[in-house]
Amino acid sequence: MRYRTKTILALLALLTLLAAACGGEPLESEGDGEAAAPATGDATATGTAGTGTADGGGAAEAGTESLDGAEITVGSKDFDEQLILGYISKVALEDAGATVIDQINLGGTDAARAALLSGEIDTYWEYNGTAWISFMEQEDPIPDRIEQYEVVRDAELEEHQLHWLAPAEFNNTYGLAYLTAAADDLGNPETLSDLGPLTEESPELATLCVESEFPARNDGLPGMEQLYGYEFPPENVTVLDTGVVYTATADRDPCNFGEVFTTDGRIAALELTVLEDDKGFFPLYNPSPIFTDEVYGQYGAALEELFAPISEALTQDAMTELNKRVSADGERPEAVAQDFLESNDLLGA
Amino acid sequence: MAVDTSGPVGRPQELADTAGTTPLPRTTEGFSPLRRAFRYAAMPLFLTLLLLGLYLWVTGQQLGQVEQRQLNAPFITAKLVQHVRASTLSTILVILIAVPMGILATRPSLRRFAPLIIGLGNFGQAIPSLGLLTLIFLFARTVEWLPSTGIVPVVLALTAYSALPILRNTMVGLQQVDPSLLLAGRGMGLSNTGVLTRIEMPLAVPVILAGVRTALIINIGTAALVFLYGGGGLGELIFQGFQLRRTTILMTGAVLTAALALLVDYLAGLAEEFLTPKGL
Repeated sequence: MRYRTKTILALLALLTLLAAACGGEPLESEGDGEAAAPATGDATATGTAGTGTADGGGAAEAGTESLDGAEITVGSKDFDEQLILGYISKVALEDAGATVIDQINLGGTDAARAALLSGEIDTYWEYNGTAWISFMEQEDPIPDRIEQYEVVRDAELEEHQLHWLAPAEFNNTYGLAYLTAAADDLGNPETLSDLGPLTEESPELATLCVESEFPARNDGLPGMEQLYGYEFPPENVTVLDTGVVYTATADRDPCNFGEVFTTDGRIAALELTVLEDDKGFFPLYNPSPIFTDEVYGQYGAALEELFAPISEALTQDAMTELNKRVSADGERPEAVAQDFLESNDLLGA
Repeated sequence: MAVDTSGPVGRPQELADTAGTTPLPRTTEGFSPLRRAFRYAAMPLFLTLLLLGLYLWVTGQQLGQVEQRQLNAPFITAKLVQHVRASTLSTILVILIAVPMGILATRPSLRRFAPLIIGLGNFGQAIPSLGLLTLIFLFARTVEWLPSTGIVPVVLALTAYSALPILRNTMVGLQQVDPSLLLAGRGMGLSNTGVLTRIEMPLAVPVILAGVRTALIINIGTAALVFLYGGGGLGELIFQGFQLRRTTILMTGAVLTAALALLVDYLAGLAEEFLTPKGL
């Protein structure tokens, strides 16, 4: 509802702007203070949704056209959260009048990334931590959420003319989890720091299942053990497939603790408890919708306005719940996305 | 490796032994010593060069902390040991299961069960290897005394996956023995067991060994997947390199796996030559 009003106001503002024969000075929209008009005359114009876009080296400025009649190809990676995010984009864009070509579920990060860079798709949701560590090949994460986003956003705009919109609230990062029912056996740990005494006093209980890359990454097990000052006995660490880690942790065979992704639906479904990262070690993985320069240049303002409230509504709890509905309850990602947008009043109709 | 059964070569082994044949494999007979030496040395030479090249390439790279954590002797050795252990254990298990099954399936009284037994072998190999690993994992989860991850389920999966070549080669090896030789054996007063152990098996050995060789290679290749279910192995390096976009790690894992397969194939080839009863 709110967003439709905004669009209409933005349109009105645009018309006013055109009628005023494109004066050099930025215009303010009249009437409702909530809706900000896209300022186009100015070379440093920014989006309207409260997130400044970076000053782009040669990249197009935020476009001002409404999404009516736009044709946008939406992609995503191949796991449940990505499917949901992809369909959220699709449903929201369609609702805003765009025609969406569905390329959701492209494959892994590499496939989605390649498709975006080649222009095969116009948008997908990427995590700032992934860009920082995988694309930019940095080894040590930035602990501040906004700073991490801004560095990635600026670098991506500069290097690839990609536009990162404001990041979602939720953070799908690494975490260690255990079977809630086993809490008493394990000394009721609540934080990662609590595992220190356990590894010393009863190392036989300090068994850990991880996926293959976790013991290799700086922002994985080695860095975590270094910062928290304890170590899982190396022979107690088992490398498993990502999905198997969850079942193995729930079975407590062969491990009491498992490396998980903090918004994964299986955490709730298998009744696992995630330990709090009390020293804030794990990197931030807040996803943003990324758009190519071509699409952003034309519709940037409308996109910023469309996605800002969506990203805001995607909190940790909300995303975990959406993931659970797909991963554990078997609902269709598209239906879950539609439902999310409707129940949060994010659709105009 | 075709076995010639047309001539008078199909004699029981001890007869062949008394004939005083040279201990050299027949395939090299008639070659000059130089050519023979080259034939045996070519593969080790190639592998040495390959591994040396890999070593020089990796050490010539600018290695970050991530690479250093994985590309060191203790870690690589541990993965190599896991890989070899999983593939050899499963091959041994396959030999223990599939050779007796193959023998049983070719006995006249049990011959009608042959399609069933071959069907089981086909079934094992027809399922994609990753699917079979997953099936075994899911099965092991439901069985109390069977661990669902680690070496045990992984070896079981590899065993099921590679049973077919040994099973089929055992059956083919036994079936292609000239029936007139069996009759001759009976005529000499050999029992059923005597015919099997002294005529059929020696004649089938080359074909069975070829099956073992195939199974070994299949297992080394498939063992690159067993890390997914806690079996470790070189696949871990390949996957880490892929996930972390570290080409050096990926290449190390991939080249080592390939080199291991080639080395084992070479050794199995040697074993095939030396274990084949002389005179065949």
